[in-house]
Amino acid sequence: MAEFSKLSCKKGALNESLAGLFKDMLEKGVVDAVLVPSHQPVKGIMQTLIADPAKLDSADPFAPVVPVNSAKLVSSLTNVPSGRPVAVVMRSCEVRAFLELIKLKQASVEDLVLIGIDCLGRYENTDYLKLEQDGVTTQSFLEAVLSGKGTEISKGIDVAPACKICEYPEPDNVDIKLCVIGSGPDEVYVEWVSEKGKYVLDKLGIEAGDGHSGRDEALKQIMSERISERDKVFTELYEQVNTLEKLQEHLAGCINCYNCRVACPVCYCKECVFVTDTFRHPGDQYMSWGDNRGAVKMPAETLLYHMTRMTHMSTLCVGCGQCTSACPNDIPLAELFRSIANRTQARFDYHPGRSLDEPQPLAVFYDDELVDVTGQVK
Amino acid sequence: MSDEFEPTIVAFLCNWCTFTAADLAGSSRLSYPQNVKIIRMMCSGMVDPIYVLKAFLDGADGVFIGGCWPGDCHYINGNLKARRRVALVTEILKQFGIEEDRFWLRWVAASDGVMFRELSKEMTEKLKELGPNPLKVNKMIA
Amino acid sequence: MPTITINNRQVDVEAGMTVLNVAKEIKINIPTLCHNQGLEPYGGCRLCVVEIKAGGRPGLSTSCTLKATDGLVVETDSERVKKSRRLTMELLLARSPNVPIIQTLALEQGVTDTRFSKEDNDCILCGQCIRMCKERMGVSAIGIFNRGSNRVVSTPFDEFSEVCRKCGACASVCPTGCIDISKLSDKEPNYLSSDWNEGLMPRKPIYIPFPQAVPKLPVIDTTACVHLNTGACGVCADTCVAKAIDFEQEDEIVTLDVGSIIVATGFDVMDPTPMESYGYSKFANVITNLEFERLSNATGPTSGKILLKDPDDKWGHTNPPQSVAFLHCIGSRDKNYHEYCSRTCCMYALKMAHLVKDKCGHETQVYNFYIDMRCFGKGYEEFYRRIQDEGVRMIRGKAVEVTDKAEDSSEEGLLIVRAEDTLTGKVLRVPVEMVVLCTAMEARSDAQEVARTLGLSLSADGFFMEEHPKLEPVSTPTSGVFLAGACQGPKDIPDSVAQAKAAASEAQSLSTLGKVVVLPMISYIDKDLCIGCQVCIDLCPYGAIEFDDLKGISVVNEAVCKGCGSCAGYCPSGAAGIRHFTQKQIFGEIEGILAS
Repeated sequence: MAEFSKLSCKKGALNESLAGLFKDMLEKGVVDAVLVPSHQPVKGIMQTLIADPAKLDSADPFAPVVPVNSAKLVSSLTNVPSGRPVAVVMRSCEVRAFLELIKLKQASVEDLVLIGIDCLGRYENTDYLKLEQDGVTTQSFLEAVLSGKGTEISKGIDVAPACKICEYPEPDNVDIKLCVIGSGPDEVYVEWVSEKGKYVLDKLGIEAGDGHSGRDEALKQIMSERISERDKVFTELYEQVNTLEKLQEHLAGCINCYNCRVACPVCYCKECVFVTDTFRHPGDQYMSWGDNRGAVKMPAETLLYHMTRMTHMSTLCVGCGQCTSACPNDIPLAELFRSIANRTQARFDYHPGRSLDEPQPLAVFYDDELVDVTGQVK
Repeated sequence: MSDEFEPTIVAFLCNWCTFTAADLAGSSRLSYPQNVKIIRMMCSGMVDPIYVLKAFLDGADGVFIGGCWPGDCHYINGNLKARRRVALVTEILKQFGIEEDRFWLRWVAASDGVMFRELSKEMTEKLKELGPNPLKVNKMIA
Repeated sequence: MPTITINNRQVDVEAGMTVLNVAKEIKINIPTLCHNQGLEPYGGCRLCVVEIKAGGRPGLSTSCTLKATDGLVVETDSERVKKSRRLTMELLLARSPNVPIIQTLALEQGVTDTRFSKEDNDCILCGQCIRMCKERMGVSAIGIFNRGSNRVVSTPFDEFSEVCRKCGACASVCPTGCIDISKLSDKEPNYLSSDWNEGLMPRKPIYIPFPQAVPKLPVIDTTACVHLNTGACGVCADTCVAKAIDFEQEDEIVTLDVGSIIVATGFDVMDPTPMESYGYSKFANVITNLEFERLSNATGPTSGKILLKDPDDKWGHTNPPQSVAFLHCIGSRDKNYHEYCSRTCCMYALKMAHLVKDKCGHETQVYNFYIDMRCFGKGYEEFYRRIQDEGVRMIRGKAVEVTDKAEDSSEEGLLIVRAEDTLTGKVLRVPVEMVVLCTAMEARSDAQEVARTLGLSLSADGFFMEEHPKLEPVSTPTSGVFLAGACQGPKDIPDSVAQAKAAASEAQSLSTLGKVVVLPMISYIDKDLCIGCQVCIDLCPYGAIEFDDLKGISVVNEAVCKGCGSCAGYCPSGAAGIRHFTQKQIFGEIEGILAS
């Protein structure tokens, strides 16, 4: 039975109320620190690990910007576990990516209290900084979006394309959920989801009861919008990029900087194979290519890089869109990779982040499966 | 002199079954198409998907992976892992116009030189129908 | 402990023993007919009587029921006893004059004829069958009916018994052999036949497989044993002097750690029943090569005589054949069955032809129908010459049919072999009394399963595949597993022995070398690239990768790794790779092929 608590928020005091909750957790010793998106001294928002309750005043969990997918950050925190309890605030895509990293032994969840938040989308970093300057606040953003005014609250500036097609506005597999969908920025509901979440509820001594009745409706609405947008984007892409030549065109701006790989939360290799010696070619290799093909674009093996990345991580892609955000030449990678992920994930009926018990597609194999691959029977 | 298109098939054959079968085909003087160029692997499970991608991006018209029948793998279950990887890569290649028929995973028993010959012939014929790898035209890719 | 005196000997006995058992123990012979060690004493035949001199009621008493009590004095061969026994035998001889065991026992008692009018009743009413069925089988399907001189052993109302299990126990204990179990029940009996003797001889649920069995101990067929299936009987355990039968025995699965395995699982003989034109299973005297071998063997169903089967008697044989045909290549060199040659048949067919001439007489007509004569070994061709000189007719043409449809009187009652003699171009009809099929040697029916268990491959002919057709005849791709004998392919004894010695020597040299040579194509994991996701550990079929907790990376155990490449095929960063099959090397091969 889900249990909810209503955080009392004065109008416009969203962050204050949330900070109060976190302060409580710190002061009552439920956790030793909280990782929460917070305003930085000069400008911008970054995930900050806060151990001193006084510093929680800068916390802004619902700020519509995600400079780095937190899965990577929480993985740094827990790869070699500290053994001390920490609460981490993450959105759905970050949680799902985080669960995949746990399966790859790059993170652990034992000492964590996972606090998931509803997500209406995020702006690109530079766009957000601009919006911040223009006086847009998390409050005004949530008010606008939740009242149906859409995410383009400033002309020409909209949330990341990846967010517009994301089917996960609310997070799953978390201990605690901070819910604004259906209720609004002045009425935040805290859902105590798991055993751990209920334990925290106990320790904090807060009252709990039923949730907001309009939530399911609101969620359904958002999801159906996102899904229809997603299907539209996929259908277009499948047409637009259906040959290798068209793929090359799509990736024409790529300079092999590998930023997309660095930003991707599920690209977990210490060093991508493309920067290892395997791809350190001697000069005569390039000359041989030149001789055979007549001309070679440098840097070479761009398509090979992207297609290899698709092979390695498309089954784990959570659609966070950090790849597009990171690309210096604005290549719409997130949509491309999500469209491929849509196919490869369907092939194995695998949804990244759905459950910690589901093994990743290439980490398992069974005797009787995929008979259609060879089409041969004895 | 024929102007007919002769496809190039890069074949990754597992040492213990398919490669042995190819060897047997050779020693039995069973003639198989020259289009098949063999790269020996110890096991079909050793075939990294990046080899398949590279082969196609370098202009191969077809890629063939030969493994042991499920249950007969010399290394117990390498062929099952290969099967999963092939399923994955096929999805990606399909999207970019590399038809499923250009990329085959087949099981060939060690004593089945005849089957190896048949599969080589079949694939060569299929690829003649499908035509050359589109990248052969525009070589400035990859 | 009671003491009795028997024939003036004082014997200490165990309480409860009968005088008959005491006599047996001290080797005094007392004749019996109705006594059976596994059944309760009956005292019915009166043959085992002894004279009580003291310690009991004086007079004659049946020793099988007489308990040996303290102070008993008996005599087993007094005049009175002898007279009684003689009378008993005379009476029995009158009832059953034609039963061999009665005749023998009578002679032993000095009785040659009887003064009483003779009947011809094979059953001597000893009651062993009834007691067997009731006491041991727990069924009581038969009993003694009527009274006095009309007493007879039968089923209730002389009708087929519902409860009779057709186990044959009654028939097996009957001293005169007069029980026909087909009269007791109309159920279809499940004949137990000796596998070793190719089904030509019956066997009991407890049996010694064959005289040269190692170990030479009886085994119990758990599917047929009445005790294991119903709880009744158990005669064997009670009769066993050494008390060596334990019905509680369970199958034990034993795990052995070994360094090498030699597979010598042999071959199966093809069943020619599907080849309907040859009439196997249809005609009683069309037999397979192995059945002929058993006939010819001294421990076989006919003690070594080559005899025709009696079509009306399941276990019976009649006379030696006057003509025999040997059909070569039944199932071998045949596109429809096995394309290979079974290698041994030509030579054993010649041997068998010789045996027929030798055992049945040189005037016996022997024909061999062959495609080619394969006499490739040492002395083989010479042997072929000799057999031809003995008058064996060699016909070059594979037989196509064996039929019993006679076309004229000379073929009446015989089996006619049809073949084309390719040397004369004529189609022949050869009437014979016995046809022997040289059936193909094939791989064992479970060869695929054994292959999977041991990591072996099968060749196209279904036999286990050797590592190399010329240079490695006894080893397999799986190191430490060797092959010997017919499991690798049809071959005869000298070749099997040679292979066995080779396999044994290879296996031995493995253990005496002191070190093992491993292939260099094994995995290594670059410690600077590995990020410790441990997926390779899950994928490794040999458990050859371990995780180093301290360094947070995976490490390959080079002694265990077999170089399959499962780890390398997965590792996205290329940290795991196979030596001599690195990514750079494979890329080079691909480039080389496609650079055109």
